[in-house]
Amino acid sequence: MYSIEVKDLTKEFKSYRSREGLSGAIRDLFTREFNIVRAVDGISFNVKKGEMVGYIGENGAGKSTTIKMLTGILKPTSGSIQVNGRDPHKQREAFVRTIGVVFGQRSQLWWDIAVQESFRLLKKVYKVSDEQYQTHMHEVIEILEIEDLLNRPVRKLSLGQRMRCELAAALIHNPPLLFLDEPTIGLDVLVKLKIREFLKELNARYGTTVLLTTHDLTDIEALCQRVVMLDEGKIIYDGELQELRENWGGGKSAAIEFTHRIQLEQLTALTGHLPIRWEQENPLKFRAILESNEMTVSELLACVAPHIEVKDFRIEEVSTEEIVQKIYQKGFTTYA
Amino acid sequence: MFYGELFFDYLKQYLKTKLAYRLDLLNELISDFISQIVNLVFILVVFQHTNFIKGWSQQEIIFIYGFFLIPFAVFSTFFNFWEFQEKYIIKGEMDRILTRPAHHLFQVVLETMDPESLAGVFTGLIIMGYAGYQLDLEIAWYDPFVFVLLVLSGVFLYGGVYIAIASLGFFIDAKTGISPMIYNIQSYGRYPVDIYNKVIRFVLTWILPFAFVGVYPSAYFLGREDLFVYVWITPVMGIVFFVIGVWLWNLGVKNYRGAGS
Repeated sequence: MYSIEVKDLTKEFKSYRSREGLSGAIRDLFTREFNIVRAVDGISFNVKKGEMVGYIGENGAGKSTTIKMLTGILKPTSGSIQVNGRDPHKQREAFVRTIGVVFGQRSQLWWDIAVQESFRLLKKVYKVSDEQYQTHMHEVIEILEIEDLLNRPVRKLSLGQRMRCELAAALIHNPPLLFLDEPTIGLDVLVKLKIREFLKELNARYGTTVLLTTHDLTDIEALCQRVVMLDEGKIIYDGELQELRENWGGGKSAAIEFTHRIQLEQLTALTGHLPIRWEQENPLKFRAILESNEMTVSELLACVAPHIEVKDFRIEEVSTEEIVQKIYQKGFTTYA
Repeated sequence: MFYGELFFDYLKQYLKTKLAYRLDLLNELISDFISQIVNLVFILVVFQHTNFIKGWSQQEIIFIYGFFLIPFAVFSTFFNFWEFQEKYIIKGEMDRILTRPAHHLFQVVLETMDPESLAGVFTGLIIMGYAGYQLDLEIAWYDPFVFVLLVLSGVFLYGGVYIAIASLGFFIDAKTGISPMIYNIQSYGRYPVDIYNKVIRFVLTWILPFAFVGVYPSAYFLGREDLFVYVWITPVMGIVFFVIGVWLWNLGVKNYRGAGS
């Protein structure tokens, strides 16, 4: 059973150009030139119930546009969407009852009044019964540790406090599906950790499906098994995060620092039989790039350490962030 | 009934917000009161210097003005759309509205409502009462009902026109100056339309039918039987314009592009 089913989804925007100078502005009054920009270009993907999926891409890749179509805000140019068994734009009011939305850059809460007043109003908007609210929200408030914030006006909260309240506000009706658009933007590490813990808990306890966009790939690493990667409106990767790391992460490398000066030739002579490439950083520091996954680091050490004194040794693994960065710089196909 | 409850919940929220800034609230109440008094005195003084305009007596003109203030006050309370384009479309607050399960137009009305404007109702009633007393108007038992009907028609008519104008924001990227322009035109509806030339009269009756918010409904109470046809089509005009406004709005929402990310 799928939570989200997207097929050949496309969204086009007209973007108007303005001509130069006053005469251009006058001509713009009568005939305007425009380009058609495809923000989302024929994408298809499904999300299973209870899955946590990371939706990543550079700025302008079409992430937000997709999320806005999935939440019923924007009408697709073509293609079909079924979210929780409904068409988001056509059956908007019935549909939005079944989702929760958090936009990191936008607030759901009323600025001037206490947090719990906002909750109360949202409770009415979503027609949540008192019992349901009591049992469910009690838990949410407890896990997010926002009990003490409830009677403070939103404008007096810090960003981290506010974000936790925003999350709680999006969950008032206990939706089976949660959309998070940049939920950790601008937050410090501790708050980020707390929010991640909470989302895991939510997923485990209620089986909530989560679709998450973020620029912080550590969020995705902590939460999602699966990533969907978007570039220029098209999906360029859809699969497990682990697989992405294994196939495109490149080999491991090890940084070695010696106690005295060493020649590069000395090292290549010692490890000539191993699939290793050496790079020299300075007379004391070298980097060994392991070109095969089968080779272990201990083999490397076993060859070098008996002959040359090693001062420091560090294994380096490419971070997901670097992998993604490389994919965007070089293009997916050439990198693959 | 859901919407009725929601209205009171939003109203409560509005009051709580106001009470959060107590000094500000006091300030606002005083300045609103003063401006209503000034308004009242101004109107009475200005109209003291006019006598007859094309068959309308001074008192009748004051009465029309008083009547006009009432639908206008109700309209200003609920259709406070002046900053709609700026706040909801350019800044993208519409995104939030669209992720909530209630009609989008209704939500915008609730979020932007301005109950202080209702003070105008009292000013209007005082002016009407004063003029009516001077004119020695008789009040039949059904007149209050007709009054409410005509006021509501005027509110819906104004509402429809301004919803339509706000809807333009969905289609046009840049800010438009249409709203202040229409706002200026609407003041013409406060005076007897037959003082204008034919073209303006036609526009105020059928194109931007602001005459249905002031002159025409007042004609009923003033017993101007020559204008009774217009009195009875006032509710029709109210409904027609409101429907057009809402239709344009819905079309606009389909065309909503969202802001940034």
